[in-house]
Amino acid sequence: MKNIFSIISLFFFSIIYSQDQPYIYGSFESNSQLLQDDGSIGFLSPEDNFRSNNYFQVNYQTNNILAGIQYEGYLPSSLLGFYPELDNQNKTTNYFIKVQNEKSDITIGSFYEQFGNGLIFRSWEDRQLGINNAIKGVKLKYYPSSDIELTALIGQQRDGFNYTESTIQGLNTDISLNQILNLKEIDVSIGASIINRYQENGSNDSIPSNVSAYGGRLNMYSGNFSLSIEGAIKDPDVIANENTLVSNRLYDGTALQIDFGYSKKGIGLNTTFRRLENFNFYSDRLAEGNIYNQKTLSFTPTLSKQQDYLLTNIYVYNSQPRLVMNSIEKRSGEVGFQNDFYYSFNKDNFLGKYKTKIAFNFSYWSGIESSFNEDNSYDVKFIGKGPRYYRDLNLEIKNRWNSKLRTAITFLDVIVDKGITLGGPLGVQGDIKSKVGVIEANYLHANGKSSRGVVQHLWTKNDRKNWLGLVYEYGISSTVNVFISDAWNYGGDDKIHYYNLGGSYSKNSTRISLNYGRQRGGLICIGGVCRFVPESNGFNLNLTHSF
Amino acid sequence: MRNFIFLYIYLITITGFSQKTLPNISLKTFEGDKISVTELSSNDKIAVISLWATWCVPCIKELDAINELYDDWRAEVDFEVYAISVDDSRSVKRAKALVNGKGWEHNILLDTNQNLKRALGAAAIPETIIVKNNEILYQHTGYRNGDEYELFEKLKKLSKQ
Repeated sequence: MKNIFSIISLFFFSIIYSQDQPYIYGSFESNSQLLQDDGSIGFLSPEDNFRSNNYFQVNYQTNNILAGIQYEGYLPSSLLGFYPELDNQNKTTNYFIKVQNEKSDITIGSFYEQFGNGLIFRSWEDRQLGINNAIKGVKLKYYPSSDIELTALIGQQRDGFNYTESTIQGLNTDISLNQILNLKEIDVSIGASIINRYQENGSNDSIPSNVSAYGGRLNMYSGNFSLSIEGAIKDPDVIANENTLVSNRLYDGTALQIDFGYSKKGIGLNTTFRRLENFNFYSDRLAEGNIYNQKTLSFTPTLSKQQDYLLTNIYVYNSQPRLVMNSIEKRSGEVGFQNDFYYSFNKDNFLGKYKTKIAFNFSYWSGIESSFNEDNSYDVKFIGKGPRYYRDLNLEIKNRWNSKLRTAITFLDVIVDKGITLGGPLGVQGDIKSKVGVIEANYLHANGKSSRGVVQHLWTKNDRKNWLGLVYEYGISSTVNVFISDAWNYGGDDKIHYYNLGGSYSKNSTRISLNYGRQRGGLICIGGVCRFVPESNGFNLNLTHSF
Repeated sequence: MRNFIFLYIYLITITGFSQKTLPNISLKTFEGDKISVTELSSNDKIAVISLWATWCVPCIKELDAINELYDDWRAEVDFEVYAISVDDSRSVKRAKALVNGKGWEHNILLDTNQNLKRALGAAAIPETIIVKNNEILYQHTGYRNGDEYELFEKLKKLSKQ
């Protein structure tokens, strides 16, 4: 705590004494919950039933210096389902100073960075997921010309309030070839990167202390087309499960991602293919597969459409990049594709009178066909016929009928492997097949107030059977909003209502929201990274303010 | 708890001194060209900046709504819209397809490792701000149906200043 005050005071005095118009900006965020027992969902509130995650961040900037600190407090405990290492701690977690000029910049302290698509390296923060895997060390960026960017970094990765014992080093380069090759009709850029983890192997000589991952990529844009290809390989390394080495055997990993896009005004098409074989990289070899998404270096998020409605996000997919070899299951990774199609009808079209827009999505993800040998080696096909993990089909039709009324209709057909949703081995427990229909209407009342209503239904014969969902939201003014919602599992044995009600106040850069209700347990995914949230009941208060 | 109170007092004090300016953060276009966020509103131009993502439904609603009204508004106020995607590398590829498929006329920029989002302290998106000469004149978090009309009222007022 003393720490923060001295640093803040320093900022404070530097504003007064500094010559070149520095400025300060930052933010404060507090997310709290008050939990209570709820017999119907079998939830027993923990003893520390008040839980709170708090973040305070200040930055100080002049022309060529940027400095910042972040303070975090999880008092008395972190929100339910977050990394338990955070409980009952508060500290200045991240601090940095960055000095920059036209050709280069250097950062000392905690930093975020990603190489290319992040396939081999991404350090970032997501507070809703409880991820902050910043690197503490030194980062150097150098721009020899406007076409070339070079990055070098070294440091240790954050793990809760500590740092992992391993040392991470990385190099990255991005080069735009347009000027170098004098290209006119086409934009081309290439990139290459390497990330290395040095972690002592103790007395076990058969495991490597140095493990690296290498990535290369190519991006092309021409007219309405775009194509990007990224490939990566990882040095042979041991695999681990629940903090224990599986064996001393080493396995290398590979990743390939290809994106193709075509778009012009009114039409957009995008296809992504990705294959991940034993491709995840952590700053600690034993952290592999940890459920809190801690200590990750590689970033291999789920590539399927992110759902936003109450019932469409019950059966979601979570990417499966791991090589798993144990007595219960054996698998080597994931392969599949994801397609998006967007279309807007012309104004003079019959449907265009109402400005109809459609979005269609289709994705398919499966295991890679592999056969496992007795000596713990395995043979693998490029794609083959691995078990299906997930398949979805999504159609969304949005209309604007007049200046007051907008509607959206969504239809989703999804098949997910039971192991993905409920846990346990993949590809052997069977599927959950479901269909979801959603109708949403937004209406703007004459007096500036607004209403939003959503009716949705989920059909399935598996798992917890049918659901009905309702949401009504009323905007009292541009600053105050209230809502009530219910997801009713009427087909299930207990016929549980997951009800919620609440409101929010939002003005300028401050937002406060309060809600009360039941939290459905399951995967919560943001930007393709998923966190498991247990069922609970209680109040939630969120406050954010930026300055 | 006492610590928090102290912290808050500090926060308020600092807020009193801070100028609401956009930090110098560089963003990329789809083609990979770099552009600094400080360039968007120089020379008295008014810019509406909206942080959005392909997976954020209210963000897309807001940008759809602004897009539909854009021509009418432009007849009254001279301003540019910069829709800055905070999509990470996972979803940024589909951003272009979405933008074109929806027929948006907004200028699109990319903030793939969310440097600007962090600098603005935007905990949630959409985060919509109006800037002129790099100074933040209006900031709003979230979107509900009809919020675009309030944005337009602000634009009209600010353009006269």
